[in-house]
Amino acid sequence: MTAINRQQICNGVHFSSVPDSRFKTGRITAALMLPLKRETAAANAILPYLLCRSCREYPDFTALNQKLSELYGASLYADVHKVGEVQMLCLSAVGIDDRYALDNQSVSRELTSLLCSVLFDPALENGVFRNEDIQQEKRQLIERIDAEYNDKRSYAKIRCEELMCEGEAFGVNVYGKREEVEQLSAQDIYNAWQRALRCARVELIMLGNSDPEQAREVFEQAFSQVKRENTADCTTEVVRSAQKVSEHNDSMEVAQSKLVMGFRVGIASPDEEVPAARLMTALYGGTPHSKLFLNVREKMSLCYYCSSRYDRYKGIILVESGVEQKNIDKAREEILRQLEQVQQGKFEDSELESAKMSAANSFRSVEDYLSGLEYWYLCQTLEGALYTPAESAENIVNVTRQQVIEAASRVTLDTVYTLTGKEEQS
Amino acid sequence: MNQIEKKSDRLGESYTLIDHPSGLRIYVYPKEGYHTTYAIFGTKYGSVNTTFQREGDSSPVTVPDGIAHYLEHKLFESEDGDAFARYAKTGASANAFTSFDATCYLFSCTEKVEESLEILLDFVQSPYFTPQTVQKEQGIIGQEIRMYDDDPNWKVMFNLLCALYHNHPVKIDIAGTVESIAEITAEKLYDCYRSFYNLHNMALCVAGNIEPEQVIRLADRLLKPSKEQRVETLFPEEPDTVVKERVEQKFPIAVPMFQLGFKEPAGNKRATAKQCALTDILLEALASKSSLLYRELMDAELINASSFGYEYFEGPGYASVIFSGESRDPDKTAQLIRDAADQMRKNGVDSDTFERARRAVYGRNLSALNSADTIGNAIISLSFADRELFDYIDCIAQATLEEINERLAQQLDTGKSALSVVSPIE
Repeated sequence: MTAINRQQICNGVHFSSVPDSRFKTGRITAALMLPLKRETAAANAILPYLLCRSCREYPDFTALNQKLSELYGASLYADVHKVGEVQMLCLSAVGIDDRYALDNQSVSRELTSLLCSVLFDPALENGVFRNEDIQQEKRQLIERIDAEYNDKRSYAKIRCEELMCEGEAFGVNVYGKREEVEQLSAQDIYNAWQRALRCARVELIMLGNSDPEQAREVFEQAFSQVKRENTADCTTEVVRSAQKVSEHNDSMEVAQSKLVMGFRVGIASPDEEVPAARLMTALYGGTPHSKLFLNVREKMSLCYYCSSRYDRYKGIILVESGVEQKNIDKAREEILRQLEQVQQGKFEDSELESAKMSAANSFRSVEDYLSGLEYWYLCQTLEGALYTPAESAENIVNVTRQQVIEAASRVTLDTVYTLTGKEEQS
Repeated sequence: MNQIEKKSDRLGESYTLIDHPSGLRIYVYPKEGYHTTYAIFGTKYGSVNTTFQREGDSSPVTVPDGIAHYLEHKLFESEDGDAFARYAKTGASANAFTSFDATCYLFSCTEKVEESLEILLDFVQSPYFTPQTVQKEQGIIGQEIRMYDDDPNWKVMFNLLCALYHNHPVKIDIAGTVESIAEITAEKLYDCYRSFYNLHNMALCVAGNIEPEQVIRLADRLLKPSKEQRVETLFPEEPDTVVKERVEQKFPIAVPMFQLGFKEPAGNKRATAKQCALTDILLEALASKSSLLYRELMDAELINASSFGYEYFEGPGYASVIFSGESRDPDKTAQLIRDAADQMRKNGVDSDTFERARRAVYGRNLSALNSADTIGNAIISLSFADRELFDYIDCIAQATLEEINERLAQQLDTGKSALSVVSPIE
């Protein structure tokens, strides 16, 4: 079992280590967690990308990357995640374990110090980030936002979430809006950086075979220079049930239509019914032996994919499918009919058992991936209790049939979103 | 039974290669301390094997486009039910894929590994096709094809392959077309099955939480010894030149996408481990984040970090280097890449750049050994190309500047390059 040691190093800042000698690589990440808000989404989102570009020690992008190449193809990278209504900004340094260096270089020490440099000691000009860096990262963030439109499957999902949770923080795009990114000034971004260092809930996490003490000291020292204020509130508002069903359609030149149905479950972390809601979603549409797969795809041949996903932070379920426009109603009807089956307890014990095994399997698999483990624990820190993947697998296995039915009976349909082709429309 | 232990002291890794009496080549790669077991069972048969002649037959046969992929879908059904339903009882997460040159069936699990392995070995060896089951799949695969029709990444790639290749079937869509799959019958599926799903033409790799004895025991019991069936795939004559230097298609997207390919002459032999290792180092030197080209493309605001990439695309009878990404100006981007390739061919790679690239490629390949699924997939595809994993990594570690520059002379010929663009609808 891969356990975590977590300790506070200053107000709102924790350092964790997950020692594990099985891997060829190690990784260390600084995750800055802030409430997702329309006003700050864009300025926060650009930060990790901008910071990972350079630092005072390596002000030149190419020089920094050449340094990383020399460290056996190490990488320094940025990511922005939406975890419920929390915007999680991640800066990670990943590189090979010292045991495998062709010379006797300490890759992990160098990476820790690089990560610390990019986070605390960026290349500035006139007291703010350099214009050239800002322009490059603004352009790339805008292209990232634009590219969401390219993949119609994920675009339809994003649209459904946005429409369903309009007026809630969850409906805010995690990268901000195009216009908001365009309008960011050097000062706005600098302020966002300062605010993040002072107020974000910070999780530093190191995984692998390297000595965590050295890294903890480096970060403890760096944070001792920061005037920490009250730590930002990282909670998510949960709408317990839908009032009425709202319908939305976009049309564009696509060959295949997309149907996304958004449901409120009324169960969200840290509710104790979360494992039941997870298992219910797996049984309903989470596996190739689930109700949705076996009926909408296999029995009715309506689609290639039809699956359900549960967001345990926000307490919603999205069912996604790609179908012919003329079959949308048929698919929608069947998706709802299958939900009723679960609500009425019309499922075999073997279906329940399969869903349990499948869910437990995916939890236990997390332990064999460094990045998977890291993300697992980062999310866990937001939930209060730090369960290992194996413990969560155990929690799922203990859910009863009755608990699944109860979780399903709380599900209400909120939003139906369709993306349809132009030609076929009449 | 011939059993060989392959070992790499440099990497601290080892696996067992078994030549099973049934004709199947089996690889078992234990990873100490891992929870998951990943198994992949594949045949050297993909979308390019459209015209073939069996030993003893008087003439070659040509089968409908997309049949290898169709066969993959249908093999999941056996007389006594669906393989997914059987896996549902073990908790394994199962899947399959068809590529240009292989069809593979796989699963990953954390318990009941022998039961899951038994299912895998059994269903892949038990074809069962009837007119009704074949008919049912038309709707599902039809929707899969429609989904690819809307996928700009897929389109930009196949448009490029059509611009690079006059006759080679690599230019044909892996899933075929709605029309071509309509010609598929149970009889044709059996025909392809008998020709290519011969254990002598297949390989099995099991990696992670597993020991060779477990796999051998099951193999002895479940593999049906078969007489070697020689089958030769006939590829049409392929000129060295490209078909067209530029192709473009309009699509409902926000950011244009491109793929730029440099075609190489490819005979009947696959590239060697050494050639591939040298190419990977070369491409790293030319276009990685630490290269001058990358810097130039970024400064001109032509690429972004989230989409730019490159690969050596190599298989039976085809080989090309392909660059890809999103770009506001694909033609300008292609021009800069072509100029950099010419420049590099003229001046050669310098020793600092070479050393950085060698280390980076080595480190990345070492990292790939973290995951059982990456290992399994790599071993199978290397097996079908007559290459070996540790040999390939040794070739990277031992590469010299002279070899790199010799290899460069055979690659990246701008006279044989083509650009594919997918651009937004005005």
